[in-house]
Amino acid sequence: MTVTLSQTPVLETERLMLRAIDPQDLEPAIAFLSSDRAGYVGGGANKDQGHCWRIVASLIGHWVLRGTGPFTLMEKSSGKPLGSVGPFYPQGRPERELSWTIWSPEAEGSGFAFEAVMAIREHVYHDLGWETAVSYIDPSNTRSIALARRLGGVLDPDAPREDANDLVFRHPKPGDV
Amino acid sequence: MTGFTIPPLTTDRLILRAPRQSDFEAYAAFRASPRARFVGGPYDRAQSYQQLAALIGQWALRGYGRWMVADRTSDTPLGVVGIYHPEDWPEPEVAWSVFGTGEGRGIAHEAARAARTYAYDILGMSALISMVDPANTRSVNLAKRLGATYERDFQHPSYGTMYIWRHPSPGAPS
Repeated sequence: MTVTLSQTPVLETERLMLRAIDPQDLEPAIAFLSSDRAGYVGGGANKDQGHCWRIVASLIGHWVLRGTGPFTLMEKSSGKPLGSVGPFYPQGRPERELSWTIWSPEAEGSGFAFEAVMAIREHVYHDLGWETAVSYIDPSNTRSIALARRLGGVLDPDAPREDANDLVFRHPKPGDV
Repeated sequence: MTGFTIPPLTTDRLILRAPRQSDFEAYAAFRASPRARFVGGPYDRAQSYQQLAALIGQWALRGYGRWMVADRTSDTPLGVVGIYHPEDWPEPEVAWSVFGTGEGRGIAHEAARAARTYAYDILGMSALISMVDPANTRSVNLAKRLGATYERDFQHPSYGTMYIWRHPSPGAPS
């Protein structure tokens, strides 16, 4: 009974290669997590390196515990990691989530997160059999709210949530995408 | 993902294996208990899930890590033991935590010896420490029983003062 993790899926879009988060993402992921741009996902400039390292370790482990997890967005033209998008379902989360982060300001505003979520949503519906997906978003996170709407998400005021303050956007169902 | 492996070890009474989803309730109960005060706790369920996942992730990041220690016959999870080495640790550490159900049976000792032998013989490590909260007398006693000696204090930004215990070198009697 040796646990291995090597057969994780690779998805491709027009501009991106999407693969499971991986040890080579450690440095750029920590750079993002230890900045104030990561305030909505448990990071921040006040967080030490050890805290951010543990978050990256936990995202890799999520793939083993749940059989899926966050994908790193690799820009095909540059080979650079731009951010992380994908299934996030830690214990206690009421439903399976599609989450997203873009790791640098330079990579924002080019539609990379949209492109990645569209492909990963298709993957979780078609390959993993999800019947629905939500995204939990802080009400002050206007960029993410705009992206959720662009993805066809609609507010679901009745959906359970861990943080009563969060908005819950429900994605279009598989047949409606 | 390039892939990584968590190889199991067995001892007389125990199996040291990869943590998995079904271990969560036992792990979270330990982490929520007063017993977790020596490891920065108590922690809520969300924090414990993140840490359970991070136990696995360290294997990918370092090539070694901590196992879930389970009863070899029943597979009941009894604790977490192995080589802990997060980014903010001074060196790789032989670390042990035993859940309430496993205490007082020499489980941490049996598992820690197996983990130390693995680190020396399979990983080729040449030195190991254990970081112990000085108020944790059970762990201090185990460090001594493993042949380790107090070396110095270590100040961690979140966990406060820990004592560094130095294990015998590979090949030294312990």
